[in-house]
Amino acid sequence: MRIKLTSLMVDDQTKALRFYSDVFGFVSKHDIPVGEYRWITVVSPEGSGDVELALEPNANPAGRAFQEAMFAQGIPVAAFEVEDLGKEVDRLQAAGVVFTKMPTQMGPVSIAICADTCGNLIQLYQPPSRC
Amino acid sequence: MPPPSRHVTAHALAEFCRARALLRSSGVTVREAAARTRLSPFQFIRRFRAIFGDTPHQLRIAARIERARRLLALTDRPVTDVCFDVGFASLGSFSALFARRVGMSPTAYRARVRAATPAHDRVATLYPGCLSLMGGALAILEKQNGGGPLQTVAAAGDPSPAAQEGGCASS
Repeated sequence: MRIKLTSLMVDDQTKALRFYSDVFGFVSKHDIPVGEYRWITVVSPEGSGDVELALEPNANPAGRAFQEAMFAQGIPVAAFEVEDLGKEVDRLQAAGVVFTKMPTQMGPVSIAICADTCGNLIQLYQPPSRC
Repeated sequence: MPPPSRHVTAHALAEFCRARALLRSSGVTVREAAARTRLSPFQFIRRFRAIFGDTPHQLRIAARIERARRLLALTDRPVTDVCFDVGFASLGSFSALFARRVGMSPTAYRARVRAATPAHDRVATLYPGCLSLMGGALAILEKQNGGGPLQTVAAAGDPSPAAQEGGCASS
């Protein structure tokens, strides 16, 4: 058993693919129309390319209620690792991304939280430098 | 220090969420929604779009179309009533917007959903929203690649209307 795929609910798949590729910098791996939705996965060019993130349509009112409640409470639903948090936050802010938490030291990691324009808050974190 | 416009406080975020809920469910104007956040309409719209990815107007239209989809699929209300129920004033603009977003007219959409699924399955068909899309997608991919050992799996994603919906109902 392997962890190969994880997913995020997004309120609009077209918008999501644009944000996750153009702004976050991931690369589309699958984009296949299925009925009125699409099976979309992206991978990170900085990772092994082995772990895929699926961008799932969040049409279900139950899923949407969860997503919106988490968002309103300021709680991120996913976390992505970055090498240099300050640099990444500067880059994303220049691209128009809104942050709800600016880089903050939390014990050994520093984190920041931003809106993905698809209904989610995403945490970015810089792990402690490896010794 | 980063420019303040790229940072929202928890309080402001909650206010934007409330504004979004109001825009979706009530007749509140963008100007009124902006006033609640103590921003000018221009600033409000800009910030709203940076947070939610859509302008307040786009979000409102999307919410209306979504409600219409649901009413068309799950109730017997005439299309004209659905149009007014969800907040449109003109049947013409409703039908045009619906067709642009959903890919077919309201009447065609209703007929398709109903032909594709029995009444008790319709809610699930409306909202696939689950990893079950993977099965349909990979089946389509197999077909495009000329088929391999997994070709038989494609049966799960056959192009019947029910499978086209890619819904959880079929899994």
